[in-house]
Amino acid sequence: MAMQDTKIIGDSFEVGARFQRYWDTSMANAFFCGELGAGLFFVSFLFDFVPGMVTGMLITGIFKSFFHITHMGVPMKSWRAILRPDRSWISRGLIGIVFYLLFGTLHSLNMTFDLQASLGLGTAAGNLIQFFAACAALVVMTYQGFAMSHSTAISLWNTLLMPLSSLLYALTGGAVLTILMGWNSLFAMTTSGQKHLTSETLLLLLISAIVVASILYSANNRSRGGKVSVRLLLTGSFRQPFWYLVTGAGFILPALLLWVAPGNFIAVLVAATGILVGYYSYRVLIFKSGVYEPMSGFR
Amino acid sequence: MARYGMVFDLRRCIGCNACVIGCKQENSLPDGMFFTRTLSEEYGVYPAVGRVYIPTLCNQCEDAPCEKVCPSGATYTRDDGIVMVDADLCIGCSSCAVACPYDQRSQVDKDLFEHGLFGTDELTPFEKDGYQRFVPGTIVKCDFCSERVDAGLDPACVVTCPTDARIFGDLDDPDSKVSELIRERNGKPPMPELKTRPKVFYID
Repeated sequence: MAMQDTKIIGDSFEVGARFQRYWDTSMANAFFCGELGAGLFFVSFLFDFVPGMVTGMLITGIFKSFFHITHMGVPMKSWRAILRPDRSWISRGLIGIVFYLLFGTLHSLNMTFDLQASLGLGTAAGNLIQFFAACAALVVMTYQGFAMSHSTAISLWNTLLMPLSSLLYALTGGAVLTILMGWNSLFAMTTSGQKHLTSETLLLLLISAIVVASILYSANNRSRGGKVSVRLLLTGSFRQPFWYLVTGAGFILPALLLWVAPGNFIAVLVAATGILVGYYSYRVLIFKSGVYEPMSGFR
Repeated sequence: MARYGMVFDLRRCIGCNACVIGCKQENSLPDGMFFTRTLSEEYGVYPAVGRVYIPTLCNQCEDAPCEKVCPSGATYTRDDGIVMVDADLCIGCSSCAVACPYDQRSQVDKDLFEHGLFGTDELTPFEKDGYQRFVPGTIVKCDFCSERVDAGLDPACVVTCPTDARIFGDLDDPDSKVSELIRERNGKPPMPELKTRPKVFYID
């Protein structure tokens, strides 16, 4: 069947592409907050910037948890999601979040109050806490992408580029928020760190754009459902938010601003807003444009 | 122990949807929720065109993607191969629903229990009785009418089908009707490229 013949069938009893309708905006909000918070924590962690680390943990701990619980059909039993780390990325991610918040908090307290000295723990304990906090933050940044990429049902998601895009978006958002939060504190004394981080943000933006384009390219070439998803995003009903918000506001505008005026606070603020708008729109649209493959193989 | 499966004879299915109604009745399914659907597809180029009806339900996959991703262990496979959901363990995260390539899972809408089919904040006697089987917010799916199978009966959709287009039986028994049909008429599973090893086969 030709690409243009693959219909979106809605609720009708026909063979065609059907929208996934289970992971909705509340799940997109949870993924966005989880990745952004962990990204902010991780970048701030690299600069020993405690306010950034704490803010990152608050974004993940409060907002991600809230949106996940609103998504759950049986919120009171949500704790059960931790039970199958051997097979489920949701379980692994939840364990990752617990470790990230636990060791992230310990690391932040250690940075602020020098706990390892006052408790006589030695540097090894501090290093171990740092290591676990960073590893757990990496898990939180990527596991949602893995959870999506394991769905063979939805071609748009079924690629290992999905966790990579999660990681890149998380780091980009984390980097630009760290620049903003550290404008008058972390980077007040020395601008070299800020310039360095701005260059890295630009690079991350570029790689993110390439990865998003690659996700669409691979989905388009993989299956009929993948083609439908790409068509929805590029020329279909989601084309305006995709081109204006994900591409324009999320990639082009911030790249230009960070390149032309990296030392101007307003420009960086607008760039950060654009990145977050683009990132959030990407998260919502990638859920909305996911379709199940049309049934096949019976004749 | 038997390993249950189903065969759909596409030559016999007339798209009457009696199976869909039988399933809804048997499982007290609310409005908009289906454990089985009979899809239609047109094929060919005018004037040589035709229409085929394709019954669908949970394929009770041997290598079920829904079971693999379930974070709470609610989805499991019985010894007889029927994939089940334990409503007491399900947290309603819908991971299984986005993992099922056949889109054969549904979530029990919490509002349904408050507002009822007609939105009058009152359940009809059918709803009051039937909805007791559901836990609001959990994921549900076809289980080949496991309670009927346990009682030695065929699934409701099978007994309702007026053309015998649905055949249910033991895939491990070489003399069963399903095994015979699959062998003799080259039964094909849906979307075999996904390697989920469905226990549902189509013959044409």
